[in-house]
Amino acid sequence: MFLALKEMARSKVRFGLLVAAIALLVFLILFQQSLQNGLITGFIGAIRNQSSPVLVYSVDGQRVIQGSILTPDLEAAARGVEGVGEVGRIGQGTFTALPTAERLGGASETFDTTVIGYDLGDDGRGLGSPAALSAGRYPTADNEAVASSSDQASGFDVGDTIRILPGDEVITIVGLADDAQLNVTPTLFASYATYEAAVASANPDAKGVLPNVLAMAPAEGTSPEQLVANVNAASPDLDALTRADAEANTPGVSQVRQSFQLIFLLYGLVVPCVTGLFFLIVTFQKANTLTLLRAVGAPSSRLVGSLLTQVALILGSGIALGALLYYPVSQQRLGGIQLRFETSAAIFWAVLLLVLGVGSALLAARRVLAIDPIEATTGAGVGR
Amino acid sequence: MNALELSDVRKVYTMGDGSEVVALDHATLTIGSDEMVALVGPSGSGKTTLCSIAGGILRATEGRVVVAGEDISGYSEKDLTRFRQRMVGFVFQSVNLVPFLTARENLLVVDELGQRRGKAAQQRADELLDELGLADRAKNLPSQLSGGQRQRVAIGRALMNDPKLVLFDEPTSALDTKLGEQVMDLIRTEMKNRGTAAIVVTHDERILHYCDRSVHITDGVLAA
Amino acid sequence: MKLALREMRRRPSRFVTATVILSLIAALLMLLGGLLDGLIQSSTGALRAQQAQAVVYSSTSQASLVRSRIDPDVRQAVEQIPGVTAVGGLGSAQLGARVPGNGPRDLADVALFGYELPPEGVPDPPAAGQAYADEILKADGVTEGMTIQLGPARTPVEIVGFVRDTTYNGQGSLWASAATWRSVLAANRPDAQLAEGVFQALIVQGDADIAGRIDEATGGATESLTVTEAVNAIPGVREQQSTFNQIIGVTIVIALVVIALFFALLTVERSGMYGVLKALGARSGTLFSGVVVQAVVVTAIASVLAAVLMVVLDAIIPPGSIPLQITPVRIVLSAVLLLLAAIAGCLFSLRRVLRVDPASAIGTTV
Repeated sequence: MFLALKEMARSKVRFGLLVAAIALLVFLILFQQSLQNGLITGFIGAIRNQSSPVLVYSVDGQRVIQGSILTPDLEAAARGVEGVGEVGRIGQGTFTALPTAERLGGASETFDTTVIGYDLGDDGRGLGSPAALSAGRYPTADNEAVASSSDQASGFDVGDTIRILPGDEVITIVGLADDAQLNVTPTLFASYATYEAAVASANPDAKGVLPNVLAMAPAEGTSPEQLVANVNAASPDLDALTRADAEANTPGVSQVRQSFQLIFLLYGLVVPCVTGLFFLIVTFQKANTLTLLRAVGAPSSRLVGSLLTQVALILGSGIALGALLYYPVSQQRLGGIQLRFETSAAIFWAVLLLVLGVGSALLAARRVLAIDPIEATTGAGVGR
Repeated sequence: MNALELSDVRKVYTMGDGSEVVALDHATLTIGSDEMVALVGPSGSGKTTLCSIAGGILRATEGRVVVAGEDISGYSEKDLTRFRQRMVGFVFQSVNLVPFLTARENLLVVDELGQRRGKAAQQRADELLDELGLADRAKNLPSQLSGGQRQRVAIGRALMNDPKLVLFDEPTSALDTKLGEQVMDLIRTEMKNRGTAAIVVTHDERILHYCDRSVHITDGVLAA
Repeated sequence: MKLALREMRRRPSRFVTATVILSLIAALLMLLGGLLDGLIQSSTGALRAQQAQAVVYSSTSQASLVRSRIDPDVRQAVEQIPGVTAVGGLGSAQLGARVPGNGPRDLADVALFGYELPPEGVPDPPAAGQAYADEILKADGVTEGMTIQLGPARTPVEIVGFVRDTTYNGQGSLWASAATWRSVLAANRPDAQLAEGVFQALIVQGDADIAGRIDEATGGATESLTVTEAVNAIPGVREQQSTFNQIIGVTIVIALVVIALFFALLTVERSGMYGVLKALGARSGTLFSGVVVQAVVVTAIASVLAAVLMVVLDAIIPPGSIPLQITPVRIVLSAVLLLLAAIAGCLFSLRRVLRVDPASAIGTTV
């Protein structure tokens, strides 16, 4: 331990550079982890965190809610299937919205906003509503809505009003839900009628509004998977999915996951490579000193232990520094995506990189173990 | 013209704690243009310092240093570098060949780093290797040469730029008596054939007779 | 310089690991850049292809095609602006297409455009019921002469030719006459249909500066952008560019640090040799340029390896799984950035090279 620390104190530049490299790598990995999770949640958080266990799309929709349209026949076919418990309509559209909350003082800009209309039921908790609220209450009348909490500050807080443009449809926010965005836009959960009115308001030529998706809960004794199978069997134009599948199969989600996986793989490889290379070179450079120490009686295990101590210290500080850099960045909004500090990812990567880093140093450790103390007298050292 | 004229040269080092160490004190020495002088003294006597100053590797604190008529006392680092390229040859104690270059390439390093005479330099390198009996070893790496052969490559390298003064730092310290004599023989032959001056720094009394005269130094002071 | 190169040739092993690491970093740069290029290209093709001086949306649409509507009277107002030579309507509809030969649940994602003024590379609008298809739809099995069915109403459309680089939002586009588009929209998306004469946006040709004058002439009913601005306004484009470029920037810094580290270590190791060489008359500049040469060579080899890796990756990745687009420009740009980082990283060793004292050669081993 003594040797390990002394050496590092003497060569601050080289060890400093290594810590810097590791810190930057860890920072990038964690930042991109936040980016990935934030992106995916921003895309489909609304689907993940709504209350309906089964969603029925039309095949034409290709698993995009807005692209899916259920004609009356299709809707009837789906409703008539065995094992159906509760059913609700869901309509979704993207609109231009202007927050008109007083506290903004008239100085707000328009937002792309998603409106999800669902059948409220008695208490506003109908199928398709957000599964849990973080503030306020569920809508119980038309023109009330629950908003995605990440957009609170931009004019979507409880009590704020929103105007759908063009036209004068006004919606009042009565509650907030976490991680409830769709397509990385502020999202409002309102009654189906509110949604219909918004569509008509934005496009007077629209003739009749059809639901995009049906929300379904299975009847007593039927599993969601069974219900999905039943609905799909009823018509080749119906595409039923469990909530988890709907989330995973939304176009773009798997692309994001796969792209990031490739990126993480490469960044993850760089860390042990840099660490291993560094300690291998340094061990070669210390050859004479190490041989001398062995000659005067230091056991190999002590020298290897000293090496591994350095590795662990360097990796540890690099990881800690990287996490420290990551923390403030993780609190930011990036173009509509709310990032957060991914604790479990941080722990996972810390452990993984520590293990890989120490593993990479084993090459250097092997060299240390191969030193023959007799070489102190011949001057050959850890030769080349 | 004398190969070397040191007049009242002093070298003082300031230590970390502020104290001063006088490595060389009022050294005055003259070496003729083809003289081979042995510089003898125990370790720490200042012989390395004197050699370094004479070779333009180290700047004196005080005094005048003239090598082959050129006064290098006030030279900057850059001037000294150029001076060394042209005028001085070194054979270091630990030989110091570049480990990844062949014998021939080690000789040509001097040319590559300095004057770049191209073909002329290559010819000279081959001539020297021949003279030194290393013609068949030209393409070997230092690791493939014996101690004595490496020593000879170093001598060849020192002679590449046709120096006015060659400095030998403990040329026989790593060699047994027989080999040491062979090397000193070779050195004397080469120096005399070319009429080049040489300083041989040594504490080995056995080789003193190869030199024209000996100069003794103790604690930074040359014996009268 | 020869010395530096010879060292690399004679002792490659110590440089190999550094090259591997830099190859990984270079691959990352190219991958990140390729993802960005792929994302941007597939989102913006349809707009980039427009040959126009202005793209006109309605003022409340937030420059989103699907939410914008331009009524005939607004169009008239635009047509009458001095300096305007031609005005064409543009409309879009995003639908699933049934391609003969594909399974019943296997639809192709398609963006149908109705147009009047042809974008670059697209011929004049075809006859009713016909359309040109972007060539990425070939991957879905679309061929020339084939009739595909659009949307839940299965409206038939005949493909009469292919065009390039006109994708929108990652989907393959179809280019049809305004009439075809309008009738498809009405049949399939009654909630989004538009009356005769109404378009989602206008494509305007004329003087270079007309984009700035249109909104005034329409009394604020429109938001007019140049094609470049319209492309950048597509949701996600700006954010993707800035995010990716920031990540790329930090990665360049990492490359710099790695090079600095590696060569700092090497320089320390070679101090003895540098001392000898300086004693022989080598100048610091010569020795340092040797370091730079080695850094450049290592980086160049790493870039080539990474480029090869990327090309292979591009070939084996199934289309649609990752939006990767490897272009020579991106590869060269990544290599150049890496090279600059390498040269900058060498500067960490400069001081040490300068400080090597030739006097140290006496009494040391190389």
